[in-house]
Amino acid sequence: MLRASIQYQGKTGDLRAVTEGSKGGDSGVHHGDALIAFAEAALGDDGAALATARDALRATAGSAALVDAAGVIGNFQRMVRIADGAGIDLDAPVAMLSSDFRDEIGLDEFGTASRIAKVGPVGRALSGALRGVANLGLRAWGRRSR
Amino acid sequence: MMSFDFTGSTDPIRPDLSAQYQRVWTHIAAPGTWLTGAERVAVAAATRDARDCTLCRERKSALSPFSVDGAHATGAPSSLEPLLVDAVHRVATDAARLSKTWYDGMIAGGVSPERYVEALGVAVQVISIDEFHRALAIGLEPLPNPQEGAPTGLRPVGAKTADDAWVPTIQAADLGPDEEDLYDRAPGGKAPGVIKALSLVPAEVRSWKELAAAQYLSTENMMRMENDRALDRAQIELVAGRVSALNECFY
Repeated sequence: MLRASIQYQGKTGDLRAVTEGSKGGDSGVHHGDALIAFAEAALGDDGAALATARDALRATAGSAALVDAAGVIGNFQRMVRIADGAGIDLDAPVAMLSSDFRDEIGLDEFGTASRIAKVGPVGRALSGALRGVANLGLRAWGRRSR
Repeated sequence: MMSFDFTGSTDPIRPDLSAQYQRVWTHIAAPGTWLTGAERVAVAAATRDARDCTLCRERKSALSPFSVDGAHATGAPSSLEPLLVDAVHRVATDAARLSKTWYDGMIAGGVSPERYVEALGVAVQVISIDEFHRALAIGLEPLPNPQEGAPTGLRPVGAKTADDAWVPTIQAADLGPDEEDLYDRAPGGKAPGVIKALSLVPAEVRSWKELAAAQYLSTENMMRMENDRALDRAQIELVAGRVSALNECFY
């Protein structure tokens, strides 16, 4: 969804920012570095670092954005545990659509990646084209729901 | 005093967040499907205990979390099975290294899948609310007082074990009349795995989905690229992706 939402804005971004943080490249997302720093600090144990990251995000993006970001952090601290605690597999369509960049940005290195259905070379080759179709669908959906 | 009163907060908290947190606290305190209100609150307490648990910390730093034995840090005694308390601690502190072998061992040890899934549902909702507070340097809300009453014990007829999850779930085609609201089915009649994950206890799915609509996006708005939040969709997804990656979650 990150790639789709960046493309929806007519931008490009380096998705390695997800797995490597700000040193992974420019996410192409407005205030991306401050958001990443806040997420990283919120998951860490360094209270001073968290305070610094929180102040920085508040200063650059505002209090409302900070609160939204805290909500998203809370949400995904839940979702990852639902997935891991129930031992669910990655849905086959998502596995296929993401197969070409999962390895590129390091997602297939995670221990939990054994629960991702294997996608063959044909599936990998098709994933880019299928994602293009999916993005068109998202744009159409977005226009319809506005 | 009203719970989740954020009037003194440095950063104004959206009222829908406060309302959802209050709702979840009431939900946790009430008798559930397989756990009493007291047991559900005990799960919430164990979830919080895990953060400062020495055993969990030792396991987290070990090559294998299953190579370290010991006793978990616990507050008030409860009627929860020790294996269920252990599961809550593991989910809270090292979920990425849970395994099917571990899950099967817990079930063989006497924890029912139904009680585990309900405890998982309670634990993850507490975590998501507590982590919001920690991120904003807001003190944690005291846990609610448990409500009296017996669990319903209602098991969805269509729930069964499949090869796409460790726990029994309801496949979209097997939804009964009482569960028709549970999934927002994707084209082709499929339900995403993460929505199905806790479907053995439908009340927990409904609860976390309501909470997610406030903290992230409602399932209805998941496919929309525009929203009325202070963060745009790409910003939301960047935070979501980074949190998932730091948790080593592929999902």
